[in-house]
Amino acid sequence: MIYLDNAATSWPKPAEVLSAFRSAMADAGGNPGRAGHRLSLEASRRIEGSRRVLARLLGLPDPTRIVFTLNTTHALNMALKGSLRPGDHVICGSMEHNSVARPLHALERAGIEVTRVRSSPDDGLDPDRVKEALRVSTKAVVTCHASNVSGTVSPVRELGALCRAHGVRFIVDAAQTAGSLEIDMEAMGIDLLAFPGHKGLLGPQGTGGLAVARGIRLETLVEGGTGTASESLDQPEDLPERLESGTPNTPGIAALGAGAAFVLERGIGAIGAAEARHCAILVDSLSAMAGICVTGPSPGRPRASVVSIVMNGADCAELAAILDGSFGIAVRAGLHCAPAAHEELGTLPGGALRISPGAFTTDGDIEACLEAIEAIRRSFQ
Amino acid sequence: MSGAPGGREGRHSRQVAFSGIGPEGQRKIAEARVAVVGLGALGTVIANGLARSGVGYLRLIDRDYVELSNLQRQLLYTEADAREGLPKAEAAARRLVEVDSGIELDPRVSDFGPDRAEELIRDVDLVVDGTDNLETRFILNDACVKAKLPWIYGGAVMDHGATMDIIPGEGPCLRCLMPEPPEGQDLPTCASAGVLNPITGIIGNIEVVEALKLIVGTERPRKTYLAVSLWSTDFSECEVERDPACPCCGQRRFEFLERAPSHAVVSLCGRDAFQVMPQSTRDMDLALACQRLSAAGKVRATSFMLTLEVDGRELRLFRDGRAIIGGAKSRDQALSLYTEYFGAD
Repeated sequence: MIYLDNAATSWPKPAEVLSAFRSAMADAGGNPGRAGHRLSLEASRRIEGSRRVLARLLGLPDPTRIVFTLNTTHALNMALKGSLRPGDHVICGSMEHNSVARPLHALERAGIEVTRVRSSPDDGLDPDRVKEALRVSTKAVVTCHASNVSGTVSPVRELGALCRAHGVRFIVDAAQTAGSLEIDMEAMGIDLLAFPGHKGLLGPQGTGGLAVARGIRLETLVEGGTGTASESLDQPEDLPERLESGTPNTPGIAALGAGAAFVLERGIGAIGAAEARHCAILVDSLSAMAGICVTGPSPGRPRASVVSIVMNGADCAELAAILDGSFGIAVRAGLHCAPAAHEELGTLPGGALRISPGAFTTDGDIEACLEAIEAIRRSFQ
Repeated sequence: MSGAPGGREGRHSRQVAFSGIGPEGQRKIAEARVAVVGLGALGTVIANGLARSGVGYLRLIDRDYVELSNLQRQLLYTEADAREGLPKAEAAARRLVEVDSGIELDPRVSDFGPDRAEELIRDVDLVVDGTDNLETRFILNDACVKAKLPWIYGGAVMDHGATMDIIPGEGPCLRCLMPEPPEGQDLPTCASAGVLNPITGIIGNIEVVEALKLIVGTERPRKTYLAVSLWSTDFSECEVERDPACPCCGQRRFEFLERAPSHAVVSLCGRDAFQVMPQSTRDMDLALACQRLSAAGKVRATSFMLTLEVDGRELRLFRDGRAIIGGAKSRDQALSLYTEYFGAD
């Protein structure tokens, strides 16, 4: 199996991730933060260890402001619904994933005003256009760091500076970038950053988090037991407890910490550079094939590790089925839960075929993929 | 229901006059609750026969929608049903309520899969088989033996047909006859090998007679497996022994109810299409499949993919046995089209 669907879930995982998962179950099986016995303390220690690694990786000085969630979608819902009230105005890009688009649509029906600013396939969300859309009532700007369809990277540093200058909350969906592109929340002016555990951070599915900058307070979506201040019926103010009710996914979080540590050890720069090189080979070679159109940023522009293509006369779902069934190559076809991005790229309604290299992709994988696509292309002629 | 000698307002007088039924038999028929699983060629014959005989409650189960290619043999449907794309269960109920508004018709638009089978046969006295594939019959057999519910097996393809009464606790079950379903990919289906409407009429009507006999309870149900080859006018019967070691009726292990679904069905965003993937991968010869399907519709194949155009939709089959079913309204319909054209396995 040649796995090129890392933008959906990275695979394989480092051995350290599997052993951290197993060890959390075998050696740290207590309920973290809920008792004083050693298994409970050991469970807490694993979770707090993961918090520290993630805080370091994301440029957040205080690890207690890393809140663990089910996934990026969960974190984005917490950030958006915990920040916005009826009458507020929010600005987003035009290539957002449904994890942003659907919560915003739901909020719109609840009386929040949403402005969708055009994002360009080359440069993503343009700070000048965002600036023009700002209003007195603007409470937040939300964007994907990189599009999961085209790989287009938005200039988060400039957007963060703009938001900071106007006192607007800046919320970033880092689903496609955490672990592959450098993120420094403080330097980039990011207030709330939602990240997945199971993609670039090489952790398990069902893990992710919301990194909350200093001074940012969120209303809660979920209240419940935190193991602290139990005498009060009010949800505690302190992070992470305020936003982490109920027993957490200790093995998953421990494994996510191991994945993040692996990424830091190998270096985000090194992983990102390897992925970028594989993407560049794909873009160059596929662009040269007749009848294939590569979407997304022009060569030389920044690109997260996704290359989406359409082939004349072939449906992308058919291409994906053939790549899997006849060549053992896993890619993803369709709309990738981001219809707005496909609209921007002109790939509605059929969608595109997305090839996403990861931290363990080899040159041989890329060559095999290109040869398979060429063989399929010829079969359609 | 009425106790009048001829059934309600004499509606059933001609069959009440038949000595095998009589007024008492008719009363039992009016009280009977019967499920018909599958409403294709066989199932419409069965539902039609049972409804007109006055069966008081008929549950009509099918996951599929009416299409023009059904009308050659599926006798409850019309061109208007096909144009509207009605679910077969709904279309059958609409037709039969026009025939007899005094019976209860309970249409269920549903797959008869392992998860739903037991619920779908709850609270009936008898199940009659109108399905078009063996996989479903093994599920039906498990569900009925488990519930100790009699069912009547029937199948037809080309000019051949076969039927057998299955009475749990008394006679053999389907797995006594055939321990496992044969490998699907070589089996002829009605779509690939064709089917004549007289054979589904004959087998369906024999199933109706056996159902009536079971309901009335005076005549012993037929104890044989009956096979018919119509083109050569060949009728043959054989006795089937109950197998004490049968995993189903002997050991009461209901493996087909416990099985994971045989196919994974995934909806493809942005289009009316589903990918159907058999749990066990195949290695298909697409050129051979192309020949087999040439009668079913317009078919072409490359080395990687076969495209079948039929009833205004495109079905694509890949070498590993997966298919992309275009123009399907639901997962169940996609599965049904897969089974129809690419064989159950």
